[in-house]
Amino acid sequence: MKRHLILEDGTVFEGLGFGAPATTFGEIIFHTAMTGYQEIITDPIYDGQMIVFAMPVIGAAGIHAEAYESVKPAIRGMIVHDLAEVSVNRQRRMNLDRFLKQHNVPGLYQVDTRKLIRHLRETGPQKATIVDFADDHAVDQLVATVLTNKQVQNTATLKPYANPGRGRHIVVIDFGLKHGILRMLGDYDANVSVLPYTTSVDEVLTLDPDGIILSTGPGDPRSLPDSVLTLIRVLQTKAPLLGIGLGHELFALANDATLAPLSSEHHGMNHPIQEIISRQIFFAMQGQGYAVDNDSIDRKKLFVTYRDLVDGAVQGLRHREYPAFSVQFFPDAAPGPLEATAVFADFFETVEDYVEHHS
Amino acid sequence: MSNITANNVLFIGAGANDFGREAEYDAAIYQVMPELRGHGVNVYLIDENPYSLSLESLAATAIWQPLTVENIKAVIKQYQIDTVLPLFGGERALRLWSQTVQAWSHGDGPVPQTLGLTIDMLLRVNNVAVLTSMMADAGLPVITNHVAKAQEDANELLREIKLPLMVRALHPNQANTRQIVERLDEFETAVNSAKSQSMTQEIVISRAINGMKEVSLEVLRDFRGNKMQIGASEDMDPIGIHTADSLSVSPTLTLSDQILEKMRFYAFQVADLLDLRGVLHVQFAVDDLTNTIYIIKISPYIDQMASRMALVTGYPVMLVAINLAMGVALEEIVLSHDFGKKMAMMEPMMDHVTVKLPIFPFGELEQAGVSVNRQLNSIQKSVGSTIGFGRTFIEALEKAIRSAHFNNASFSPTNMSHSSDDALIQQLIHPEDNRVLLLVEAIKRGYEIDELAELTNIDEFFFYQLGHLLKLELEVEQQADSVEALRRAKKYGLSDGLLARFWQTNFKNIATLAHENHIEPTFKALEPSAGEFPENARQYYATYEEENESLPVSDDTVLVIGSGAFRMGDAAAGGYATTIVLSELRRLQYHTVIMNNNASDATLLQNLADKQYLEPLEISDVMKVVALEKPIAIIVPGNRRKLIDALTDLKQNVLILPKEKHVPNGPDDTETEFALNVFSDGHNIYPINITQHMTGELRIVPEIAQLPIQLAQTHLENPGVYQVIWYQDTSEWVKHVDVPDISHDTWLRPMPFGQVAFMSKVMQVQWLRMTVRALLSRMTLQDNELLVNVNKLILQADVAMIASDINYALHLQPTQTIDGTRFEIGVGIKYDE
Repeated sequence: MKRHLILEDGTVFEGLGFGAPATTFGEIIFHTAMTGYQEIITDPIYDGQMIVFAMPVIGAAGIHAEAYESVKPAIRGMIVHDLAEVSVNRQRRMNLDRFLKQHNVPGLYQVDTRKLIRHLRETGPQKATIVDFADDHAVDQLVATVLTNKQVQNTATLKPYANPGRGRHIVVIDFGLKHGILRMLGDYDANVSVLPYTTSVDEVLTLDPDGIILSTGPGDPRSLPDSVLTLIRVLQTKAPLLGIGLGHELFALANDATLAPLSSEHHGMNHPIQEIISRQIFFAMQGQGYAVDNDSIDRKKLFVTYRDLVDGAVQGLRHREYPAFSVQFFPDAAPGPLEATAVFADFFETVEDYVEHHS
Repeated sequence: MSNITANNVLFIGAGANDFGREAEYDAAIYQVMPELRGHGVNVYLIDENPYSLSLESLAATAIWQPLTVENIKAVIKQYQIDTVLPLFGGERALRLWSQTVQAWSHGDGPVPQTLGLTIDMLLRVNNVAVLTSMMADAGLPVITNHVAKAQEDANELLREIKLPLMVRALHPNQANTRQIVERLDEFETAVNSAKSQSMTQEIVISRAINGMKEVSLEVLRDFRGNKMQIGASEDMDPIGIHTADSLSVSPTLTLSDQILEKMRFYAFQVADLLDLRGVLHVQFAVDDLTNTIYIIKISPYIDQMASRMALVTGYPVMLVAINLAMGVALEEIVLSHDFGKKMAMMEPMMDHVTVKLPIFPFGELEQAGVSVNRQLNSIQKSVGSTIGFGRTFIEALEKAIRSAHFNNASFSPTNMSHSSDDALIQQLIHPEDNRVLLLVEAIKRGYEIDELAELTNIDEFFFYQLGHLLKLELEVEQQADSVEALRRAKKYGLSDGLLARFWQTNFKNIATLAHENHIEPTFKALEPSAGEFPENARQYYATYEEENESLPVSDDTVLVIGSGAFRMGDAAAGGYATTIVLSELRRLQYHTVIMNNNASDATLLQNLADKQYLEPLEISDVMKVVALEKPIAIIVPGNRRKLIDALTDLKQNVLILPKEKHVPNGPDDTETEFALNVFSDGHNIYPINITQHMTGELRIVPEIAQLPIQLAQTHLENPGVYQVIWYQDTSEWVKHVDVPDISHDTWLRPMPFGQVAFMSKVMQVQWLRMTVRALLSRMTLQDNELLVNVNKLILQADVAMIASDINYALHLQPTQTIDGTRFEIGVGIKYDE
């Protein structure tokens, strides 16, 4: 069925609907990754957003149990050029269309996605809606819609839970945790406790963690309560700490750096990232609209460990006093290049060192 | 920035064209030699191929010699070569350089340094057994190899390893082929065949993994150990069919991120293991239901995958590769302004789909009454390939099929309906060149996709896509003249020609209907950021979308129609001809636009023309580009008669590059073919020389050629090199021959491009450039002076063109001998002793 995508600036795209036939609103961004659509649409960092895929054929790899980053899609809409349907049979129990239908997420295909991406690359992300008819009413509705800035609250856990293992005890502060991080911690047989971001210092410390992870999450970290920064300021002095994505941004804010919007948002896995100390270049999944403002970093507290070689954006920070560091990119490789998982090896090395010398 | 000290650098060329050896190496060397000069070194090249472009490049000192260890050693000595670059000449150059190093003796002085791979590693790469165990030791997933020499040892292994088996030659003397043994009675033949290919009569036996998916990754590595993925492709056909003979898709569509990331990780590990400074092609066997991955082949040098990835991603693979070899770090590579600033270190992303379709020589051979084994297996049978670009798999497939110009009957859809169900099943299990149509026919007959996928080991995705195409075609066929049907058909890449056939009209009516209803093609840029950044794109493909990105180049554009895929015959020289034409047009300061669809030659190099259209070359495709670019002239190879007529009919200024429509015949064993070669500038005819051609060899007759009166009075409208052909019953090389009365028993034809390339090198006269100048009325005084005296220019040439040693028996199993100068794939040269 013919449906329409309307952008806040009035641009309209026509396409065919798939997934749920619902009307949807969200912030529209584009993604250049050629693989991992299932991981991307279920990643909580995209809560409330609509994603345009540059990869022109989406769906041929199906939907698989091992590729969920959360149990349901996080996105509000999906725009692709060609939807390549695969059957649902003995081996493939789910496909993309059915998955989106089940979770009431609309999709739009047969869209000139390259035109849309070239447009968005100039305007930046915008509010957008997928509707049946592109009439004045739909435009008015879009203009009147206020998108939530409570994405973390929407996706993060409200209650603590455990993911037991026999190794080191890692506390994860959840801002919209994706499964990839838990999978990586599982690889190290970590004994994991996931705590809500509203948790107190005491609650964390009574668990006697060997290491702490500030998880990835959606939205603007500045919309979170200041208590989160206070929590980080204390925790970083108590145990090895790794901040990822939103967790990295919060770690920077807690140490008095500021954030600045990127000249163009980057969602993909093809930018070279350089580890400054070794000059090694590697690639990782990235999804960011903001970066830590390079000039705002207090060099007495933090130093830059990784940079994006395309736009020079800060991709990692390390604390000078404490065993605390953070990365803007996603080192859990779900989806994305495996070389980035070295960050977890670094983290666990720090944890081992800490356990050996401090307890 | 380079960390290499080099003064005199030698490239080893790839030699004659062969199965799996088209012009990709020559194109790569041609492209990187000027870049290397930019590093301040003297560049030398040794190659034997008369069709080589690089040998005519001004960026290097070219040595036109047969590729032998002795010649390479002599060149090294003569030119004080201190550095050798074998990685751009492919597998053969690599082997040749290994042999040279092994044959190096104390008195030869220091061994020149090898760029890209250490000598030690080079020797290991050339020994598949050593290489495999090295990878196994590093924990990489490889299939265990067993080396055998005697038949008894082989039989012993046969008892140990279960069928099916794969048998290959150790230390192959030519290209290495893999033979799959499924039945016991095939074993001995395979062993003997592999032995005969081995320089040491040793063979490698391993378990065959037929039926798994074949996936290729192209990665690169710099001297600091930085690695990057350039691209990946998946074959539709499973392992068991040679990858060159497979329909292949890039980017991969059916594989999950997890599987691909694992392969990428393995490929990076291999690059590190080799301490490579360059590009690496890794072939994998994958079973994505059980998550099983094997590395089946590694090629740490330029090959067809490297040139294909360069074309389909827009990433400058070759220019980056030469920088890596020269020890420039990835982040420090500076590309010319033709490319985006950070492009070298960004992994290319694709927002289009490409389908590579192999071209088989069966049609040409059938026409000449030579029948061959058409069944596809692990030994390559295709001689070329073509690529379709689109925004969907179907669109890319349709365009690839159109680019392939199938003219043999087995590709006619109506032919299919005659086969019985049993025959169909048999053919599905033992596929031939027409398998795509066969799959469509199977769907048409109602076979379940589950069953078909199981039977053929082809991913279900492809059946859904073909089913979709079938449904679309049936619907369109029933809705003659429907604008909606036309719109849908165009979106999926169906050509005006095909629609005209469905609706029993001609393509012009379809074009008019589309035009009247604003169904117009849009040209999308092909660039490696997938829209993320504005890039200086020069490459475009047509699709039916909303936004067009291509603007006319200029008001003095010359459009050049390429010659498409390599075919048996002299089309191997087609790419040479097209490239020279482009180069000459640029020298004459025209703006140039090229249309072509072949990744394996130089015609689509980004800096050779102002714009490239990666498109099929049928009239409807050409006219869409013409409508946009409004060229002042269109240069078309003369064998494209229908296209020439159609363009002329549409009032286009067509300039014909003389070329025969049919594969040129050659003499048989008892006769000799003589040719009086002449040049026409469109007004006058000038004699060049006389050549003598006997089976497998062509020589220049050492005498001054005169123009017979009748010929002097003939008018040849299209400028170019022509030849008057006659036959005599001699089998001796002559020093003199009388030109017969040309009014009977002779015929006039354009000189095949291959001979033009040879003649240009022998005489140091650029005949194709002269042709271009004549076509555009830009002949100079020097040109005219040269033409008047050209028949005295060279009396005795010490070099002859010879058929190269191509193993037709292995690849095609023909019923009779295939004469290498008649059904030519590649040629070499020979000097008088």
